[in-house]
Amino acid sequence: MSPNEPEKPEAPAEAAPAAPPAPPAKPSAAPQGGEADVSSYFFGEQLVGCDPSDITGKLVVIEGMDGSGRSTQIALLQEWLESEGFAVQTSGLRRSYLVGKDIDQLLARNAVTRMTLALMYATDFFDQLEHRVLPALRAGTVVLADRFIYTLMARGVVRGINRDYLTGLYAMALRPHLTFWLNVRPETAFAREFKKAQAISYWEAGRDMSLSHDLYWSFIRYQTMIKREFEVMAKRHEFIDLDGEASVQAVNKQLRQKIAEQLGIRAGKYTPSAALAHLWR
Amino acid sequence: MTETQDTTPKPPRQEPAKSTLPQPGRPVPSRAYPGALIVVEGTDGSGKSTQLYLLKRWLEIGGYRLHFTEWNSSPLVKSATRRGKQRRLLTPVTFSLLHAADFADRCERQIMPLLQADYLVLADRYTYTGFARDAARGCPPRWLRNLYRFAPVPDITFYFRAPLDVAVNRILSGRPKLKYYEAGMDLGLSYDRAESFRLFQARILEEYDKMVESDNFVVLDGTLPVNKLQKQMRDIVAERIDLKRFAPRPEEAV
Repeated sequence: MSPNEPEKPEAPAEAAPAAPPAPPAKPSAAPQGGEADVSSYFFGEQLVGCDPSDITGKLVVIEGMDGSGRSTQIALLQEWLESEGFAVQTSGLRRSYLVGKDIDQLLARNAVTRMTLALMYATDFFDQLEHRVLPALRAGTVVLADRFIYTLMARGVVRGINRDYLTGLYAMALRPHLTFWLNVRPETAFAREFKKAQAISYWEAGRDMSLSHDLYWSFIRYQTMIKREFEVMAKRHEFIDLDGEASVQAVNKQLRQKIAEQLGIRAGKYTPSAALAHLWR
Repeated sequence: MTETQDTTPKPPRQEPAKSTLPQPGRPVPSRAYPGALIVVEGTDGSGKSTQLYLLKRWLEIGGYRLHFTEWNSSPLVKSATRRGKQRRLLTPVTFSLLHAADFADRCERQIMPLLQADYLVLADRYTYTGFARDAARGCPPRWLRNLYRFAPVPDITFYFRAPLDVAVNRILSGRPKLKYYEAGMDLGLSYDRAESFRLFQARILEEYDKMVESDNFVVLDGTLPVNKLQKQMRDIVAERIDLKRFAPRPEEAV
């Protein structure tokens, strides 16, 4: 995390082979707190004023580009977890009380530059982490995060922001217990997004990057760049790479299996209620 | 700023084939741009804003090309900061990030473009305020240094140093009520606002003092009479910065 490190893709704490792998069992297993296992809870630096040793919930991250099926899967997982008796909290981008609406406005007015936007997103992320995610985790809740630092870092990197800078910026983020990547081709994502809104937004297509005046190609080029960043991070951060082009049911089954394993429960059968039946295709 | 230039018309600068600026998030050395950056720092009540105002008047009257920018003043980030402070939502980390976002907005849209355009930029508080205040709130210095790494390094950083009691009394005597975060009430140092303010300022002063050498601060004695201090400041600026560069260009003179 040292700002003075030469251009190296990642922080030493994460690159070192001896570093503990992603946290799976650690937080729940041995609540010792203390300096020694900071890196098992956080990416590189202890969050100011946060003692993570009393975390009893699980942080499950669902990553993937627009149109990868994240929100569908999260809605289904929430229902399944609740039916299994687990309390669920969700988080996502631009949902903080502190700056969520401000970011919406900045994006709408499109008068914002890349570093400012990156820092506003970081503020949004940490406000949710401190006021929403951590209190929930302390209460034993399962937190389903609709995207996490990975999307924010990828967006920054493709816009030319230094990778080490972004790694340092998110050093105080909490390590998830599970990170799923719903991996889809940009072409598929385009079709799904277009179907949803009958249009593609300025930011989804990365139009601030002047990649192409052709909206379709701008979208494809931008999302391909993001996808490449994800491929790099997937290895480093032990993403569970799921084929987002498979059926909703198939993806959901895999998600439930892994989450059930993490929670120490049996992955029983699940069929969505009438309210969510339309998602089950 | 070493080469001497007169004010005879010169051809407009050509855009360089490759940007002279480093990748955002990497340090910006002052050789990366033609302008000059002068910064004032110090605790509340150290007299820095008065002095920068006088320096600005001096340069304005002389007709120099300059831009003045103030900490925590970006309109883009203002509503969020206001909401966070009013509702007391800010933690040390989000307080720090929000101020960094404010700074980034001014940096990307004003400070950097004007330094590129060969302006003299005057900043009332700079990244060092973030380093000192946020470290006093418990943020790790290493994290803070990384956070502001995209900021250009100032050509001169004036640090107005006043003893704690002098600075604190200047503020307490002139202000009916200290604000919550201003007084550092979020740190839980004391239930009494004035006492909390004093303890918070002591921590900040300590953090500033740590940076004097590592960040090449020009230390000025904030207890000196205003006009004497201003004389010192002007002398240092004239000595270190080739002000002729920033004289009005003939084509701009009206």
